[in-house]
Amino acid sequence: MSGRLCRRLLRLGCPASSAGSWSRLSGTGRPGAGRSGTGRSGLSGGGRMNVFSREMKQRQKDWAAQLQDSQQYDYLREEVGSRVADRVYDIARTFPLALDIGGGRSHIAEHLSKEVVERFCLTDVSQQSLRRRRPSEIPTHCVLADEEFLPFKENTFDLVVSSLALHWINDLPGALRQIHQVLKPDGVFIGAMVGGETLYELRCSLQLAETEREGGFSPHISPYTAVTDLGNLLGQAGFNMLTVDIDDIQVHYPGIMEVMTDLQGMGESNCAWNRKSLLHRDTILAAAAIYKEMYGSEDGSIPATFEILYMIGWKPHESQAKPAKRGSATVSFGDLSKISRPSGTDQP
Amino acid sequence: MSGSNVWSRTREKMRLFPELFAQCANEAAVYGKCVAATTTGTQELRKDLCAKEFEALKICFTNAAKKRAR
Repeated sequence: MSGRLCRRLLRLGCPASSAGSWSRLSGTGRPGAGRSGTGRSGLSGGGRMNVFSREMKQRQKDWAAQLQDSQQYDYLREEVGSRVADRVYDIARTFPLALDIGGGRSHIAEHLSKEVVERFCLTDVSQQSLRRRRPSEIPTHCVLADEEFLPFKENTFDLVVSSLALHWINDLPGALRQIHQVLKPDGVFIGAMVGGETLYELRCSLQLAETEREGGFSPHISPYTAVTDLGNLLGQAGFNMLTVDIDDIQVHYPGIMEVMTDLQGMGESNCAWNRKSLLHRDTILAAAAIYKEMYGSEDGSIPATFEILYMIGWKPHESQAKPAKRGSATVSFGDLSKISRPSGTDQP
Repeated sequence: MSGSNVWSRTREKMRLFPELFAQCANEAAVYGKCVAATTTGTQELRKDLCAKEFEALKICFTNAAKKRAR
């Protein structure tokens, strides 16, 4: 097949996903010379996880970005990008320098204003996405870099955001550690990733259809992080004052083909190494029938669930509130029952 | 890739899928119920457990495709 030829051409063209990540800047102000510490050799404890083919993900994102009607697949990223920007506004600070990891066409920066973020740095593996980024009033530099090998010096950024990019990273603990390193002390990381029960309807329908039609099934949906693991991951990376919350976005589609076409148009096609590249037409027909019967709603549409996990983590700094020292209490919990009810009418 | 090749022809055919599938709603519901019953009942889902219902669905689908092609 033409697969081998494509791979050879790709290696000549764009080495962004290999160890020597180069960055192309479109403005003044270079990021730091060295990489932030943990490259392939600097990891402690066990080998690297290699679940996803980053090369394939780059090709998928490039293909999705150069579609004529790529705007119509943006709805999910728009929504999540605006919610992440909301969380940035919730923090009453001005950030001189911010980084967007896996930003693609930049759905966060267009909601932010110059008062909140002064300069913005946008990173992605896909060159076509960066070329077609959405305009924003904040001066933006684009850097072509893999999320797992950030080419920035330590203590560079005040704010790191990431929207719907972390679920394709092979070594998530390593990536979170690198984000922790590039942050300044008292810097904050606000991320949103799909996780947990995303697309469980599609997963179950395909599983049942393949079992009934072919006798076995293979994974077609990529693995996601559970919300319970996220707190541990952030803690291990060194963040404190963690906040993790879940948001369920349910999108209704006419049928299973529309679900899969939209996922493809978003650049969210599966790129795990263990993916099966073929889906039999019988299986597609069976999965369409099962999806509609098991999950369809009264008006004939079928829902697809996207479970978005939002996380906020801070890099430690002396000014941050710490847990009080043991033995420093001035009142006892037993006194709670002795608090009399306020009788004034101005109390809520 | 310019011109007509196997990928573009297959994609064109797949674009007709929702329309054709909509014409076989009844057979699809019957097949779906057969498979969905295994998730709640005691019977395990095996290969070709609902083969009869699937054959009916497939015949309806291919007929719809033939009618459309004319």
